[in-house]
Amino acid sequence: MDRKFLVIGLDSAPSEIVIDRRSEFPVLSRLIEGGLHGKMRSSDPPITIPAWMVMTTGKDPGRLGLYGFRHRTGYSYDKMWIATSQAFKERAIWDVVGDHGGRSCLVSIPPSYPPRRVPGELISCFITPDQDKEYTYPKELRAEIEAKFGPYRFDVVFRTEDRDEILKEIHAMTAKRFDVIEYLMETRPWNFFMFVEIGVDRIQHAFWKYMDKAHHLYEPGNKYETAIVDYYKYLDGRIGELLKRAGDDTAVLVVSDHGAKRMKGAFCINEWLIREGDLVLKEKPQRGASIEKTPVDWRRTKVWGWGGYYARLFFNVEGREPQGIIKPEDYEKEREAMIERLLAIRGPNGEAWATRIIKPNEYFADVRGDYPDLMVYFDDLFWRSAGTLGWGTLYLAENDTGPDDAVHAQEGMYILYDPRKKESRRVDIDILDVAPTVLASMGLPVPPDMRGKVAGSGLNT
Amino acid sequence: MSKEFTTISIPTALFKKIEETIRGTEVSSVASYVAKVVGEALLKAEAEPEVFNKEEEEKVKDRLKALGYID
Repeated sequence: MDRKFLVIGLDSAPSEIVIDRRSEFPVLSRLIEGGLHGKMRSSDPPITIPAWMVMTTGKDPGRLGLYGFRHRTGYSYDKMWIATSQAFKERAIWDVVGDHGGRSCLVSIPPSYPPRRVPGELISCFITPDQDKEYTYPKELRAEIEAKFGPYRFDVVFRTEDRDEILKEIHAMTAKRFDVIEYLMETRPWNFFMFVEIGVDRIQHAFWKYMDKAHHLYEPGNKYETAIVDYYKYLDGRIGELLKRAGDDTAVLVVSDHGAKRMKGAFCINEWLIREGDLVLKEKPQRGASIEKTPVDWRRTKVWGWGGYYARLFFNVEGREPQGIIKPEDYEKEREAMIERLLAIRGPNGEAWATRIIKPNEYFADVRGDYPDLMVYFDDLFWRSAGTLGWGTLYLAENDTGPDDAVHAQEGMYILYDPRKKESRRVDIDILDVAPTVLASMGLPVPPDMRGKVAGSGLNT
Repeated sequence: MSKEFTTISIPTALFKKIEETIRGTEVSSVASYVAKVVGEALLKAEAEPEVFNKEEEEKVKDRLKALGYID
């Protein structure tokens, strides 16, 4: 291993802020001026889980068998499981580093609860259920961190209307994380260091409408207009401090797992399926009722959906679901017809949508786990999917689960700064390129089953 | 690309027995019954210790809902 590598993960950071507004961030700007940079196409789906694991394993979601935070348990109607660190069986960058005698420091990379055993140190992420759980590897690290910095902060209480409070909380969380990271950097030997700052995602969800003039809820002159950019400026300063500690010869990757953009609204997928006659309920739902808590007449239901940043649709197939009614021989025909109907959906004012639909079993070369029958990005993700019921409308101006201003964008960003090359060039990459790029840059072999390319190798320019 | 369905053979006597078992229940077909029972058996065989207890799972789910990741 001929060099150290630092990965600075900024959850949800778009190139439109980090790269396009670089003049406001002197440290990031210096990295951009001396490194490869550009957009990074995220995974499908472009969601925190599985995206960070796609990035660090170099395997797509089909191969990982992970399509979001939760999954159906087999073909049951009501059982589901949440993706934790145990759901990822594939080897990641730190495993290869460990094979070659190197040590890694890993801080809050989703999902890292329960903490996995790594050659080095690990602090878990925001799916840690409670402060009093074991959340570090080795487990003694927790007491050391808490004695020095107080309780570690995984996340903030989100979707509160008190914006002053959430702004304060996000800054406090990020400040503490950087304090802990600086401490680890100074006290632990490492070859590979990676952390994910989730505060970037949280501040964008909470404050996007105050910044983006194109947002339907934007108010000119509001007091939070610069909240997001001010936070990035703060990050920029803290990253500068880290770089001083990381060493002059260390290669640095600043990267996001996906981008962000304004939310136009939420489309009520299950309301739509009811109107279309695909989903039949046994009783009238309460406003905002969750589909998993609503009695469904399965013998008359063909399709139901889940919400989130994208919609997952499930077909009720005879021989697969317990009370399935679609004949297996009609499955493809029904799926095609559904795709056609979904693509015809327009916005509340009749505007055309750029909806994208994925059939997981055809899209992924190797499809594993509990995948849905269809993945739907309404209007290229500008409209999130509301799985909840009882709204009496198909379109919600806001998120069904609380105040929110932003959605995910397929394109994230990256800056790859190699002090030995200092070459500034704009090259767009794919999320699968990250793991091979990091390993190659550390002088380590790239496992042959990583399909991505080494960025800047001339293959993807 | 993988096909969503495939066929296997099972003994006719077993098929008939399943037919009798599911008569009058909510299970819609012999295939659905087999998929359910075998699926559950596999889950049991592969089961790893639960990461979250019930209360923790609800807590994490509520948080993921509030964060906009699910529902």
